[in-house]
Amino acid sequence: MTAPARIVWLASFPKSGNTWFRIFLANLAAGEKGPADINNLDERGGSASSRSEFEEATLLDSDLMSHDEIDELRPRVYETIAGDTIDQRWMKVHDAYTLTCAGDPLFGRNLPCAAVYLARDPRDVAESLSYHLNTTVDDAIKFMNTEDAALCSGRKGPGPQLRQKLKGWSGHVTSWLDQANVPVHLVRYEDLIAEPVASFGAALRFAGLRATTEEIERAVRYADFAEMQRQEKEKGFAERLSRTAPFFRAGRPGDWRETLTAEQSITIERHHGTVMARLGYRLEL
Amino acid sequence: MLGSRVTCERVLIYSYRISGLHVSSELELPVAIPEAPQAKAADVVIRRGPVPMALDGATARGPNWEMAGEIFLLRVPRLARFQIAAGRDIVVEIEPGVTDRDAAGFVLGSVFGILLHQRGALVLHGAAVAKDGRAVAICGASGEGKSTLAAALCRDGCAFVTDDICVVGLDANRRPIVLPDGRQLKLWKQSIDRLDLAQRRGEAVRESFEKYFIEPSDALGQASPLAAIYVLRGARPPFQAGIKHLALADAVRALDYEAYRPVLRSKIGKKPEMLTHAAAMLGHVKMFLLVRPRGFEHLDETVAAVRAHWDALDR
Repeated sequence: MTAPARIVWLASFPKSGNTWFRIFLANLAAGEKGPADINNLDERGGSASSRSEFEEATLLDSDLMSHDEIDELRPRVYETIAGDTIDQRWMKVHDAYTLTCAGDPLFGRNLPCAAVYLARDPRDVAESLSYHLNTTVDDAIKFMNTEDAALCSGRKGPGPQLRQKLKGWSGHVTSWLDQANVPVHLVRYEDLIAEPVASFGAALRFAGLRATTEEIERAVRYADFAEMQRQEKEKGFAERLSRTAPFFRAGRPGDWRETLTAEQSITIERHHGTVMARLGYRLEL
Repeated sequence: MLGSRVTCERVLIYSYRISGLHVSSELELPVAIPEAPQAKAADVVIRRGPVPMALDGATARGPNWEMAGEIFLLRVPRLARFQIAAGRDIVVEIEPGVTDRDAAGFVLGSVFGILLHQRGALVLHGAAVAKDGRAVAICGASGEGKSTLAAALCRDGCAFVTDDICVVGLDANRRPIVLPDGRQLKLWKQSIDRLDLAQRRGEAVRESFEKYFIEPSDALGQASPLAAIYVLRGARPPFQAGIKHLALADAVRALDYEAYRPVLRSKIGKKPEMLTHAAAMLGHVKMFLLVRPRGFEHLDETVAAVRAHWDALDR
């Protein structure tokens, strides 16, 4: 890349390590003053689906607009953000890479942006997602298999997030990896666990963000699960949806072998086998 | 509810009172407070007409708006375009197939928000209710629960003053007052059901939307003295439920943050006027951080806490 990206989309299907990555970034910024507060992450980059940022930028009352009307303005909002950002902003994204009704890419055209795409074995996503959405594993799998599934798509009450179309697990992965507008760097959650310093470091280099190995090592240490769990236990976590289940769970790759039934893992492999194989996830069907 | 109207050259003209201003409008604004046509010229004139797609010589722009001197252009894709000039003239061009009612919501919200900034007003993003001749404002971002709390306070015997856009003016003695924005409270169906307000449910804010206007049982049409400003947040780490006084420095910062669309303040606000205004206001009005426990089941608790806190404020 020639110039460092103004916005780096930190894109992933839900429960694929996005929050962990943002906590790592917060710790990288905190340096020796870390570990960073898990409840104070948004100031650093925010989320692409923030309702209040949309309203502040467009001056409009989003409650008076349909999801599609809102989406039509989102590329313009990101153009403004990219123009206003001086350094580099890493923004959390759960939306799939889609086109608006007007035919515009949701994340704008020809912007100084890049994407780090986080992928995780969908068999492990399923269990984690069921906790997060407070539903059964079977329903979480159905959600992952549904092309038109979306987050925050209801129109019954107010919420801090705009609608986010997901396109199902496979559709989500391919929407980001196969688009040609934004340079994208793939990071597998499993590689972040196995080789955090190398994997986080490669993503930073891709985005043109300079950090020494020592700084990366320290941020990885401060962002480990034990630290995140300690903070959540002590003070809670603002982004947790479930009233009972903690947000930060162990998340070991391959946990699905113990938690999913054979039928459940087979269903996932049947639906997503092609994309799983493409990402190097071994099928056991 | 229809505005008082007179026919003039075969165009219907409606008269309303919005945020303390006399408004003359070719566009019907459902739920705005109607008033008899005024003998003197209106403060604000709304008419239909062509609105350009872009402004020449724009000095500031956002995703869907541009500004050139005293002229502001606001675009809502597929719905309408609005031109707001010098705090007085509003031109509305509605896209074919879009109803006046769908455009009216934007006039009463964003368009008036812009116009009020052009006039140098201090505009908070918040609702207000009144009791015994004193008003309190409840500020907060969309989705924090301002309207729901305002509705619950009205159910508890308060009078409704304003929803969403809260203009703080100064009276003849330079004491802060709140001006009604001339709109009814808007609530999502979920809140209406939980508050048992189905009987007061008015029209939907837009066709097929599950957000509705609520007809107030008691609404104040005129200005009332402002007693306190609460900045509302839902309890989530690190915020714990409770009411905390904001010291002056925090209050000044909160006032900036809780402004209606802060970018308007920085781009078109008349800074010296607004600063004097804010200083005069904070000399009389205390600001508090109000963190409410989340969930409808705690709403009555929050209402009781606010009422008790409010009663204990110095008169």
